[in-house]
Formats: sequence, C-alpha cells, structure tokens
Amino acid sequence: MSTIGSVARVEKAHLPSVAVSMRRRPPLPLSPSRLLLYVVLVGYGLFSLAPFLFAFSSSFKTYAQVLSWPPSLLPNPATLDNYRFILSGAQLFPRYILNSIIYAGAVTVLNVLLASMAGYAFGRMEFPGKNFFYLLTLAVLMIPSQLILIPKFLVAYTLHLTDNYGGLIVPAMVTPTSVFLMTQFLKTLPRELEEAALIDGCSRFRAFWQIIFPLVRPAVTVVALLSFQGAWNEFLWPLIVMSHQENYTLTVGLAFFKGNYVTQYNLVLAGAMISIAPLVIIFFIFQRYFIQGLSTSGLAGR
Amino acid sequence: MQLAASKARPGGPPGTRRGLPFKINRRKLTETLTAYTFLAPYLFVLIVFTLIAIVTALTLSFFYVDFGFTTPIFYGFRNYLNIWYDLTHDGDFAVGLRNCVEYTIGVVTLQTILALFLALLLNQKVRGRGFFRTVFYLPAMTSSVAISLIFYWLYQPQGGINYVLSLLHIQGPAWLENPSTALLAIMLLNIWTTAPTFMLMYLAALQDIPSTLYEAARVDGANSWQMLWKITVPLLRPTTFAVVALGSIGAFQMFDQAFVMEGASGAPLRSTLTAAMVIYDTAFQKSLMGLACAQAFVLFIIIFAVTLLQKRYIDVNIQY
Repeated sequence: MSTIGSVARVEKAHLPSVAVSMRRRPPLPLSPSRLLLYVVLVGYGLFSLAPFLFAFSSSFKTYAQVLSWPPSLLPNPATLDNYRFILSGAQLFPRYILNSIIYAGAVTVLNVLLASMAGYAFGRMEFPGKNFFYLLTLAVLMIPSQLILIPKFLVAYTLHLTDNYGGLIVPAMVTPTSVFLMTQFLKTLPRELEEAALIDGCSRFRAFWQIIFPLVRPAVTVVALLSFQGAWNEFLWPLIVMSHQENYTLTVGLAFFKGNYVTQYNLVLAGAMISIAPLVIIFFIFQRYFIQGLSTSGLAGR
Repeated sequence: MQLAASKARPGGPPGTRRGLPFKINRRKLTETLTAYTFLAPYLFVLIVFTLIAIVTALTLSFFYVDFGFTTPIFYGFRNYLNIWYDLTHDGDFAVGLRNCVEYTIGVVTLQTILALFLALLLNQKVRGRGFFRTVFYLPAMTSSVAISLIFYWLYQPQGGINYVLSLLHIQGPAWLENPSTALLAIMLLNIWTTAPTFMLMYLAALQDIPSTLYEAARVDGANSWQMLWKITVPLLRPTTFAVVALGSIGAFQMFDQAFVMEGASGAPLRSTLTAAMVIYDTAFQKSLMGLACAQAFVLFIIIFAVTLLQKRYIDVNIQY
C-alpha cells in the first residue's frame, strides 16, 4: 500500500511537466504487448472490412476494369452504370427490393407485437400449461430448420400460402427466438409495476398495453433488429415458397441474377451492395442496443 | 365484490382466500383465458408450422409422396432402405453427409478458437472497444447470399484473394473450381462470418467472471498465462459448449453459400454438396417428398446425437 502511495506521489511531483498529456485520459502505458494488442485489433478490423470496401469500390468499375490484373483498389473511371442497369425495370430488381421491404417490415412489426404479448404471458402471468409451452419454445430453438422445411412447405401449400406474401410472413410472424428474448426481458421488470393497477381493477390487456409495453423498448429494439435481419437475409424459405420471378425476394433474385451474369462481377457486386446497404446503415445506427441485446440474451447464434 | 372485500381486509390470514375455492377458480380461469389470448398467435405458428410439421415429416418419411400429383402410397421403411443403399454406395446423400462432417469439424474448431481469441482481446482495457466490436461483427450481420457473391468474385483465379497471395509470392489455386479447395474456401468464408457472433457470447461470459478471482490468483503469484488456463477457460466451459453446439447445428445445415457459389449440384465433383442441398434436390427437383423427409430425419438424428451432450450445458445456461 505504502509503495503505491509513494509512487503516486512521485508521479504527482512530475505533474507540471506533463500537464498537457495528463489533461486527457489516464496515460496509457504503451508497452510492447499493448502495441501488439492494437496491431492485432486493427489488423483483424481491416480483415473484416476489406472485402466489403473492395467490393463497394469495385461496384463502380466498368466490366473491363473489374477483370483487370492486377486489380485496382479504386474505380477509374467511376461509373454508376452498374446500378443504373440493375435498378432499371428490366431486371425486376425494384420489385425484389419492394418484396424484401414488405416481407422484412411485416415480420419486424408482427414479431415485436406478438412476441411481446407472448412474452408477457410467459414472463408475468401464472396459468396451467405455462411451463410446458415455454419449455417447448426452448426445445424448438434447438431443432434444425431442415427437419421441418418440407412439411412446413406442405402446410403452407395446404393453407394457400405459397407464391404470395402470406407464405413468407405468416410462418415467421412470431418466432421462438423473439418470444424467448421478450420473456427473458419481461421477467426482469419488477412485479409491482402493474400489480397496483391490477388490484384497482385494470384489465390485463390495459396493464400490458399502457404499463408494460412502453417499458420494453430495449427488448423491442433487439427483437426488431433480429427479425428484420433474419427476414432480409433469409434465402432458403423464399426460394422454396415463391415460384414466380416477380415474387422473389432480393436474396433469391440476386442468386438467380448471378446465375445469368456469371462473370459480370461489376453487376453482381452492385447487386450485393444493394442487399447489404440497408442493413449496414440500420446496424450502425442501432449497433449499441443490438450488440448489447445479443450479448445479454446469450443466444446470439440464432 | 366479495373478493375485493377479502383483499381489503388487511389483517386477514392468508388462509381466508384459500377457503373460497370457487372465487379463486374464477379468477384463475380469467387469468388463464387472458394468458392464452396473449399467446394465441404464437401458439398458432408454433403448433401449425412446427409441431404439426414435425409430425408430418415423420409420417411422410414412411410414404411415397409425389408432391401434388398423386395420393401418398404407404412405403414402409423403403425410404430408409433407399437412404441406406445411398449411404453404402457413395450416393449423393452419403457424399453430402461426409462433406457436412468435414465442414463442421473444420468450421466449428476454428471459429470457436477465433471467437475466444477475439473476445479475450476485446476484454482487455482497450480504447475504442465498441468500435472494434462493431467492425468485427459486420460480416456476421450481412446476408449470406450477398457475402457469397462477394467471395465468389474474390475467390476467382484472377481475384482479390489470389492477388494478395501473389504479393506474398504464393501462387493461389483456382479456389472454387478445384475439388480439393472448394469446400475449404467455403469453410474459411464461414469462419469469417460466424466467429464474431460467438465472440459476442464469449465476451458476455468473460464479463461475468468476477475480477476477485484474478486478484486472488495474482496475489498467489499466477502469471496471465496460468490465469487464462486455470481460471478463464474452465469458467467459460458452459459458453464453450453453447458455442460448439450452436455452431455445429448451423454448420451441419449449410446451404446458402455452397448453393450460391457452386450451384445446386455442389460442383466441382460434388465436393461442395451438402446434406441440405441433397434434401432440397430430392424434395423440390426430384419431387420425392417422402424420401426427402426421411433424409431430413436422418440428418436431424445425426445433429441431435452430435449435440446431445452439449445440449445439457446449454439448458443449464438458459435460466427459466
């Protein structure tokens, strides 16, 4: 103890000479190991970003330039022709984008609403069958989606939910993951919140809608982002359920577009950028909630 | 009314309310009905698209179902015998499963190590931790199709990856056309995209380890290497099991990347054919729904067996 104190005193004695640097954050001892740490962090950061940045810059290249060797980092000349070609009506891309927005938007809104309702019942109410259905929810989280893919399609077919938006939205409108996240969050809110209101004769529905729902914003953000991301990126289910080309989502449209324009990487990359851009923007706006939610949920793998 | 009155009596013993079973039952009934109203949409989706689907899958695996054209014909175990023949004669499903096993072992091992390594780095006192975390996570949140398209281009013989290798005086292969590198290329891509997700799980778990443990160890003269192996890694075991189990479930079902980069046949020479692609082909190209359901069930059994041990630890992790 006394040694630490004396060291601190010695440092204080030198304060005036290093006042400029002391005014900032506490000084960082830049030992070789810390330097190495930053080198590795920056290195992996570049490793994560480089493919996106290179693809982004190459989506402005001409066909001749995207094939040139050695590849150039920046487009010269930069052209918007790739985006113009893709977004022209001839390619159905505007339609794919619209389909993806409707699909992902509807799934997001419905998951927030329906999963918070289910989470309220699981997290804050007592009723027979609660444990059974909640354990079932946890079990379903572990079931590989391949197992139920075909019968899910047959069920959708029977309910006339193939080749229309219903087929995309209805099976995904409230996922076990969303219900799990909402339940875990709603359980943490103190019980007293709605107890007084309930004793005064407030109905469960009003208690949910007016007292609890306004408080679940952190969980809503996570569920909304995860649902949007899941629907926006989903490939296999829209591939199976949609048969007419004008009903494809952006991911399915992109995969078939790649099949038709195999070596025209400039066009393929522009298409990939259109698919990535909205998520990247949303992600950077909400990243704090998103990552915190993922970390605390402990179920980031889904 | 009477219920309200009994509530208003502050000094009333708790037994009083239990003495009125009828009233309590009615309240319980309302509560139950309300709860199920809240749950109705979720239970509809869960029952129709998951539970009924699972039962249908099992049933159909014993039928010959030619989708939409004929009525199902009871087939007994013929679909399963068909799979057995496929497995013993190097059929597509056998190749698909073998690729999945190889792929899962490679991906899960490396991505778990990478995820732990990145989490340990970010758990240090570093400036801009949030920034690094966000940047690292970027590959994990983008669409698998878009990422596959980008890497389809980067993996070309004259593409970006071989250019970087050429700077190091390495002659890169034709990654996607060579049967010995095609699956490896998809593995590397997938490690890059999924490791950050598991990094977040590790990071959350690392922050739960009480710092007093490290302080005590430091007092006892332990160095940081010893603390890593004697404290951190053992305490992370539940998380590691979760990471390995979830990683295996995901890797075994790989579809998008191989389908987009190599096409439905798993070119070259079936080297990127996965079980999921075979199931897709059986069901939606060959229109053999019953056989596809049987294949899906076999895949499920394998995944279930692989994750059976880890599952226990995950369930411990999830607090109910």
